[in-house]
Amino acid sequence: MASVKLTNVKKIYDKNVVAVHDFNLEIKDKEFVVFVGPSGCGKSTTLRMIAGLEEISEGTVEIDGEVVNDLQPKDRGIAMVFQNYALYPHMSVYDNIAFSLRLKKTPEDVIYDKVTKAAEVLGITEYLMRKPRALSGGQRQRVAIGRAMVRDSKVFLMDEPLSNLDAKLRNQMRAEIILLRQKLDTTFIYVTHDQTEAMTLADRIVIMKDGFIMQVGTPDEVFEMPDNLFVAEFIGAPKMNIIKTELVLENGNYYVTPFGAKIPVDGDKGKALADRKVKPGPVLLGVRPEHINLAKAADHAIPCTLVVDEMMGSELHLHVDTEDGTRLIVRVPTLELDKEERKALTVGNKLHITFGGKAMHLFDPETEKNLLA
Amino acid sequence: MMKQYSDLEFLRLSKWQRFLYRLAAFFCAIPRAIGHFFKNIGGYIKRAALAVINEFRDIGVTFAHGDWKTKTSYLVMGFGNLARGQILRGLLFLVFELVFIFYMILAGGYWLSMLPSLGKQGPVEGYDPVLDTYTTIYHDNSFKILLYGVLTIFFIVAFIYTWRLNVKQNKIMEQILKKGGKLKSDKDDLKSMVDEQFYKTLLALPLTGILIFTVLPIVFMILVAFTNYDGAHNGYQNNLFTWVGLDNFNTMFSWTSNSGGGSQSYSATFGEILSWTLIWAFLATFTNYFLGMFVAMMINKKGIRLKKMWRTILVLTIAIPQFISLLYVSKMFAKNGLINLTLLDWGWIKEPLPFWDDATWARVTVILINIWIGIPHLMLIATGILMNIPADLYESARIDGANAWQQYIKITLPYMLFITGPYLLTSFTGNMNNFNVIYLLTGGGPSNPKASGASGSVGYTDLLITWLFKITTGSDAKYYLASVVGIMVFVVVAVISLVVYNVLPSIKNEEDYQ
Amino acid sequence: MNKTEKRHMGMKALNRVSNGSIYILLILISVIWLIPFVFIVFQSFRVESTQQVGYVIPHQWGLQNYINLWNSDFKRWYLNTFIIALASAVLVTIIQLCMSYTLSRFRFKMRGPLMRFMLILGMFPGMLTMIILYRVLADIGLTQANAVPGLILVGFASSGMGYYVSKGFFDTIPKSLDEAARVDGATRLQVLYKIILPLAKPIVIYTVLTAFMGPWGDFVFARYVAMGTSAGYNVAVGMYSWLTADQIFGMYTTFCAGGVIVALPVTILFMCLQKYYVEGVTGGAVKG
Repeated sequence: MASVKLTNVKKIYDKNVVAVHDFNLEIKDKEFVVFVGPSGCGKSTTLRMIAGLEEISEGTVEIDGEVVNDLQPKDRGIAMVFQNYALYPHMSVYDNIAFSLRLKKTPEDVIYDKVTKAAEVLGITEYLMRKPRALSGGQRQRVAIGRAMVRDSKVFLMDEPLSNLDAKLRNQMRAEIILLRQKLDTTFIYVTHDQTEAMTLADRIVIMKDGFIMQVGTPDEVFEMPDNLFVAEFIGAPKMNIIKTELVLENGNYYVTPFGAKIPVDGDKGKALADRKVKPGPVLLGVRPEHINLAKAADHAIPCTLVVDEMMGSELHLHVDTEDGTRLIVRVPTLELDKEERKALTVGNKLHITFGGKAMHLFDPETEKNLLA
Repeated sequence: MMKQYSDLEFLRLSKWQRFLYRLAAFFCAIPRAIGHFFKNIGGYIKRAALAVINEFRDIGVTFAHGDWKTKTSYLVMGFGNLARGQILRGLLFLVFELVFIFYMILAGGYWLSMLPSLGKQGPVEGYDPVLDTYTTIYHDNSFKILLYGVLTIFFIVAFIYTWRLNVKQNKIMEQILKKGGKLKSDKDDLKSMVDEQFYKTLLALPLTGILIFTVLPIVFMILVAFTNYDGAHNGYQNNLFTWVGLDNFNTMFSWTSNSGGGSQSYSATFGEILSWTLIWAFLATFTNYFLGMFVAMMINKKGIRLKKMWRTILVLTIAIPQFISLLYVSKMFAKNGLINLTLLDWGWIKEPLPFWDDATWARVTVILINIWIGIPHLMLIATGILMNIPADLYESARIDGANAWQQYIKITLPYMLFITGPYLLTSFTGNMNNFNVIYLLTGGGPSNPKASGASGSVGYTDLLITWLFKITTGSDAKYYLASVVGIMVFVVVAVISLVVYNVLPSIKNEEDYQ
Repeated sequence: MNKTEKRHMGMKALNRVSNGSIYILLILISVIWLIPFVFIVFQSFRVESTQQVGYVIPHQWGLQNYINLWNSDFKRWYLNTFIIALASAVLVTIIQLCMSYTLSRFRFKMRGPLMRFMLILGMFPGMLTMIILYRVLADIGLTQANAVPGLILVGFASSGMGYYVSKGFFDTIPKSLDEAARVDGATRLQVLYKIILPLAKPIVIYTVLTAFMGPWGDFVFARYVAMGTSAGYNVAVGMYSWLTADQIFGMYTTFCAGGVIVALPVTILFMCLQKYYVEGVTGGAVKG
């Protein structure tokens, strides 16, 4: 049970390749923090620096108030689950889980209690005698978690633990990790490239790109108020539509003018713009696919053509081209459509879309920062 | 200047054109690389000089800012460690310094001072007062002077490095203490020897071995190329040897035949041996390669039974020590050997076949017997690789309409060549230095009369490496020439490796097939 | 035969033809491969003459050649070689495993330069260093009759250079196993003997096997070091002297008998461990 604090942490590989720039983060006790970002963004490197598997080029890492830069991984009070499980192939599941305890010279009956208890929690009791190679991917993952569980560590590190599993199993394991977290009640740092995992698991999400932190916040915060274009596009699926357009100010009211339409920025967003006295001019307008509505022809509605129609079950993903050829994605719940409306959604048909001011995200086209953040 | 192709243009070229283009590109890049080197040489020197200046400045600054413990350490190595509680490190430093000082006083100084001359006084006839007779009294020993001189230089370099380390450690210790940190205790040091510093523990023994038994001898032998060390100047019992500059290289590469090369010059002899060495290496490598692959493919073909038995029969030549198999086969092919005697018995031939007595016969026979020795190795390697070629490659090729031969040319061969590229290179250089096969089969013979004057009785199947060996044997051993040959072998191997590494795609794009 | 017929000609029939020719070739190859070894065995039992003859099957069978062996210095040579082989199997294996494990697993500042340096060192012919090594060994008294410890020393001291094959193998063991073990509380030493070594069994056996087999064929340097003193010969040096022009008439069949005695244990050992040898050789070639 411990806090983790990273101060100005940097990772510089030889030849001046910087993998992580100036990473600052304070992780509270028992918090579940997820590092997320595309591959090569430095998330795993950061995790490995916390684990002690990678040297810290600059800055300090503190666990429970103690600077651990010079400590070996084994002395940091951490447990870690690896992407490819890293089970010892020549040991049985029991021995795998018992390995760390044996190194600490724990009495065998204590080991027995701990291993069987962990196996029970994870539902792998019947496999204890087997070698890892005789297990399925999901079972191996459980063993890897079990091995980390018995260490009674202060911080639980997980490096893309679900990425080697197939989609169905991944969803199942994700739910199990949430349960596990409730049982273990310790600090978690979890690395993934999958934003869904990040959103569902995290208390707080750290979104990274090219070694920089793009935003730190709760799932709600990063979804509702992305700091910048990158976060806006990275979080949420299908990804947010970005439209180049103008912000105009008329009679104290802000409007955006995508594709010739004129849509008022109303509600809180409009108020916020006014409060900040944002100057009109070119902006990048972001609208999530689920915030776009199908509409009848009207002057604030945007005419477009349906190009691809993806039926996802409970919803439809419509890929539409506006008149100037910009591709937008619209997400429509199937429930809300009647038969006629559904029929109208055939490829090649014209339709109209619209969206409200509440759903808009406005970014500075130069700095790509959120104008409202 | 050659034509530069863009990526797309390059893809339109055929395989051979691509290869030639790469080759040409490499050689065209050489002048540029050399030019680049010389253009930057100022930069290199500047950077090196700056680094040295920085070292000295750091040494000075550490002294100026250091406390008395640090300052004392400049004279008494390890004092800072001892005074600050790191007994183990301190003692190691101190002992090393003491050993160094004693060595330099007792021996090192002498060796070093004699190194420029390699000895002043050779053995002389003199009066021995104890035995009351005239005997040879031995004085300096050039061999030992050169050997221990080099060793002493190694030692001095090691000492300077250690001294610098000692200064650095003092600086670091002061910094840690200033920040209120704790120094590592002896116990921590011992623990880290099996943990974060474990690599030092593991490497200590192997690297010491390599330093003393490989690096030192090679440095020594390179230096010998610049002396007149030979049977008549063995440095102790008869005459001292001394530095002669580049004379030996002049001998080896002079075109005049009166330089001791028999009816032809040394350089001509050297050239002959080098070209046979290269031809041999090429043929030995590629005959084995393709035949080995062929045999492997036969054994691995679907439907062929007793795979294991065929393999086991073939690997017999790996299992049985080469000196037995090669010597036996060598005698089998001898003038009065089994083959000739049998054929004579049967009346198939009137004269014994000159397997070892005719230059061409001998060269061909050597290559054939080498196939016998070498195929099994390649068969094993090829088997491993062939089984790793994904089956879907062949399936898709068959759907595309490729027949068996096309499948081999378009899939199997490129795949093999790609993966075994580095192996082919080491195999080539290995064959260049394949002492056993040549020496045990022919001993280098039949002898080459044109090279009769060259040291070491040169024969038609001699490789550079067997020639080198022959030069060093006997009472008229010319070690200095052997050393020159050795250096040339190195140059040839290094050049070939460099070219191949730059032209061969498999080393650059290794991931393509993984 | 027209085109359609050819297209429809049974794959099976075609296969049978090609398989048949492959069998013939394989049998031919096997005969060529086996002939010298069969001959050597036959000739070792020949008693009617001790030189080369124009036939293979002995006219008179007997153990005379083996008795000759027993009465010669061969026993001593055999023991010498066996001791060297045994010692090098232990020492060379330790050195090479230390080297290859380190270069595969640790990333330290000097790693790159060290590997490049050894690559360049390897381009010098080893033969070059013999002269000096011989004189150094002579200086410390490890030549001639004491050649055995001398050969062991030189053999293992520079064996670190041959780390490539086993490093290639270590590289295939995922690094995350090391990392998991270190997080689990193992020191690097414990990682080595609890995790890596159990997984590296094939390459350990390969290294032991090659280190053991090497000295049986070691000829050049062994001859240098023994310098004509029979007590310091190994089998290769000793038996080579039997085939020199002045001895071959009397000793040819004895050489054959010696060859059988030397080859038998080594070959049996090799055949038993063939699987591991193949693994090492193929892995090494693919890894480069």
